[in-house]
Amino acid sequence: MRSPAAERRRPTPWDAVVALAVVAFAVVLIFLLRPTQGSAVTAVITLDGETVAQYRLDQLDQPETLTLNEAPYPLTIAIEPGRICIDHSECPSQDCVHTGWISRSGQQIICLPNRLVISLSGSEAEEFDAVTG
Amino acid sequence: MKRFLPFLLSIVLLAGCTPQKSADQPAQVQFFAMDTLMSIRVYNEGGEDAVQAARQEVERLDKLLSRTDADSAISALNSHAGDGTMVSLEPEVTQLLAFAKSVSQLLPGDFDITIAPVMDAWGFTTEERHVPSEEALSAAMELVDSSLLTVDETASAARLEQAGMEVDLGAVAKGFTAAQAEAVLREQGATSALLDLGGNVTAIGSKLDGSAWQVAVKDPQDTGEALCVLSLIDQTASTSGGYERYFEENGVTYHHIIDPKTGYPADSGLQSVTVISSNHMLADALSTALFVAGPEEALEFWRSRDDFELVLCTEDNRVIVTEGLEAGYRPAGEDRGYTYEIARR
Repeated sequence: MRSPAAERRRPTPWDAVVALAVVAFAVVLIFLLRPTQGSAVTAVITLDGETVAQYRLDQLDQPETLTLNEAPYPLTIAIEPGRICIDHSECPSQDCVHTGWISRSGQQIICLPNRLVISLSGSEAEEFDAVTG
Repeated sequence: MKRFLPFLLSIVLLAGCTPQKSADQPAQVQFFAMDTLMSIRVYNEGGEDAVQAARQEVERLDKLLSRTDADSAISALNSHAGDGTMVSLEPEVTQLLAFAKSVSQLLPGDFDITIAPVMDAWGFTTEERHVPSEEALSAAMELVDSSLLTVDETASAARLEQAGMEVDLGAVAKGFTAAQAEAVLREQGATSALLDLGGNVTAIGSKLDGSAWQVAVKDPQDTGEALCVLSLIDQTASTSGGYERYFEENGVTYHHIIDPKTGYPADSGLQSVTVISSNHMLADALSTALFVAGPEEALEFWRSRDDFELVLCTEDNRVIVTEGLEAGYRPAGEDRGYTYEIARR
C-alpha cells in the first residue's frame, strides 16, 4: 500500500505543522539538556572526616558566619556569596586563617590542629588533576 | 497520524539523551596522617579495595615513623639517644634512615634529619610558634649532626650517639610512604591513580585515556592560583616553600624550613622548590634540601645528576624550569608578574 503522501508534490500545511513541532521541540530540548548552571560551587566542611555543614556558595544571598565550638580549637568560618574563609581560629598555627578566601572548585582550606577541611566542588570541570605545594 | 510517527519516534529516542555524567569518578579517600591531609584516588574500575589497602599502609607507616607517637620505632630510637643501645628497627626504617643520611652527605649543610630539637625550639612541632632565645637555639643546634646517627642496615638497627639528639623524618617520610603506597596499589591491580600526601603529588601510571596527569604547582604568593602546570606519568612532584607554615613576630615572618647551618629559617633566595622524580623518596628529600641550598646550588646539583627535574620560584619572581619538563609544562602566572625561563644542562 502506497502512502498518499508519496504521491503529492507539494507539502501540505500539516507538513509545516510537523516541521514546526520538530523545531520547537528541539529548542525545548536544548534548553532542558543544558548542563546545570555553570558556576555552581558547593562548600563542604568536614571535621575529622564528618561533614558538619554544606553551602551552595553561588546561591547565597547574604554573608553568614558559622562558629564551630565543638572543634578542638574553636573557629569561625565566614561564608559570602561565591567565597568562604576561616575568619578566626583558636588553633596555634593559624595556617588556616592565612589561607584566606577560596572561591573556585578544587580549592581547600585545611586546619591541621582541628582536622578540619573546607573543600569546594562544582559543576565546572577542574583545570588540574592535582596541586603540589 | 503516520506523518506524526517519525516525530513521536524521535521524541522517544531523544529521551535517552540525558546530559552525560561528569568524567568517571575515582574511588577515593581523604584522611589525616603524618600531620597533614592526604588523599588517595584510584581511577580503575572497582578501585575501592585498593584505596582502602593503600590507606592502611599509610597509617601503618605513620605509626612507625611518627616522632610524636611514643610507641613508634622513631620514638624508640630517640629515647635511647646517648645511652649506647643499638635500637633494633624494622628494615624499612633503617633503609629510610640510611637514605636520609646519604642526602645529608650529598648536600652537606642543607639537609639533616636530626634537626628535630631545633624545630622544637621554634615551636614548629606541637606548641605555639615563637622565636627561640639565643641560648635555647644554640643548645638545640649542638644536637644537630646526622653523622652521629649510626645506622647498621645489615643488623637493621640504629643509634643516636649523643643524649638529647632526636630524629624527625618529616622531610622524607611522605616520599617513602608514597613509594610503599604505590606498591600496595599496584598489588591490588591499580594502574591509574593519584596520591596527594600533603601536597606531595604522586602520579601513578597515566590517566585512563593514556594522557599525562596535569599537576599544578601552587603560586607561593597566592596559593589559590597556579604557578605552572606539569604533565606527569609515574612521577612524584614534591614542593617545599616557606609560605605554608609560618608565623609573624615583631613584623618579621618566620617559616618552618630551618637551615641546619644557622638554626634559622632558610633564606636562600627561593620562594618554593618543586622536585619531580620517578624516585618518590628522592623528590621529597630534595625539595627540602634544595630549598635550603638556594637556586644556584640547586641547579648545579641538578646538572650533576639525571634522576630529577626542578621548578624553582625565586624571590625576584623568576620561575626556573629545568629542560626535562619543558615539553609537558605550561606557565600560568604571567599575569601575576612571574617570568619563566628554561634551565639547560
